[in-house]
Amino acid sequence: MESVAAPEVSIALETPVSTIEDFDAVARLYWPVVFRFLFASLHDRDAAETLTQDCFLKAYRHRERFRGDASVKTWLMQIAVNLVRDYARNRRLQFWKRTRSSKVDLNEVSQFVPDEQSSPEEQTLNRELVRAVWGAAAALPERQHTVLLLRYVEDMDLLEIARVTGIKEGTVKAHLFRALHSIRERLGGEE
Amino acid sequence: MSRHLSPEQISCWMMGERTAQDEEHVRDCSTCGAEVNRVETALRLFQRSAKDWSQEHSPEFRNVWSTEGVRRGVRTLALRWALAGLTLLVLAGIPIQTIRERGQREARANQIDTALLEQVDAEVSRAVPAPMEPLARLITWGSTETTTDKPQTSK
Repeated sequence: MESVAAPEVSIALETPVSTIEDFDAVARLYWPVVFRFLFASLHDRDAAETLTQDCFLKAYRHRERFRGDASVKTWLMQIAVNLVRDYARNRRLQFWKRTRSSKVDLNEVSQFVPDEQSSPEEQTLNRELVRAVWGAAAALPERQHTVLLLRYVEDMDLLEIARVTGIKEGTVKAHLFRALHSIRERLGGEE
Repeated sequence: MSRHLSPEQISCWMMGERTAQDEEHVRDCSTCGAEVNRVETALRLFQRSAKDWSQEHSPEFRNVWSTEGVRRGVRTLALRWALAGLTLLVLAGIPIQTIRERGQREARANQIDTALLEQVDAEVSRAVPAPMEPLARLITWGSTETTTDKPQTSK
């Protein structure tokens, strides 16, 4: 885990420098965002919680690297993406995974579907749809998975995803394209 | 466009890359319109489920972070390391001291043993009883050293 460093970023100003000086406020604001991304990436609540802690701890310890010309969210998400990348290599978490499984059942997550004033039948169909997407997303290769989550859960555009993941925008597009293709296949949309 | 959108075109649509022709086709073609709508709905519900689920669970995490707590944690960690280092030094020092003391004790015992053995050797190696030693020195026993030291007897 210690191999993950808080990256230096130099992108367009989106958040005032003073925001990160009040780190408690930063944590309050972005904790749910980082946790959501990590949970969606790992499907493991304990791991997501641990890595969220790690993410903010790293950000805090390396806060001097944040030069203020980047979005705090982008910076935190860069750290989070690196943590996910290193997750498989993290022996401590592997140990905890073995001793205490907290994997979240995708059925549980798929229950969190807005009813949108739909009929019970439609709600059931929607849950099935959501479960299929979660299942398909989980089966994606890591990069495709990350790009998909950043695009469709975190609403980031391709350029921002490129900054967060450190890969070229064209490559991000290719990953997203393949991810969508797999999702559609899983949904049964492939003719 | 008379043909349906290809899977690639639908994926491009989802990524926001669509031509005017695509839009026109999706508007007019119920099959493609339904497919685009289905995938869009799936992705939208996927996002909502992720957000709602984490929202449901995030309150317990919101109060986890405290910068002061982290600072305290860093200080505590430093103190723990210092204590651990000190403990290590003490624990490492005890065996070293014990080994040193044992060595000294053994050296003293060896010295006593050696002195005793030397004394025994000296006692054992006497050729004549102690009272006769001065007399024994006068006898040559074939030793050149003794004969030179002592006056020779006349025949």
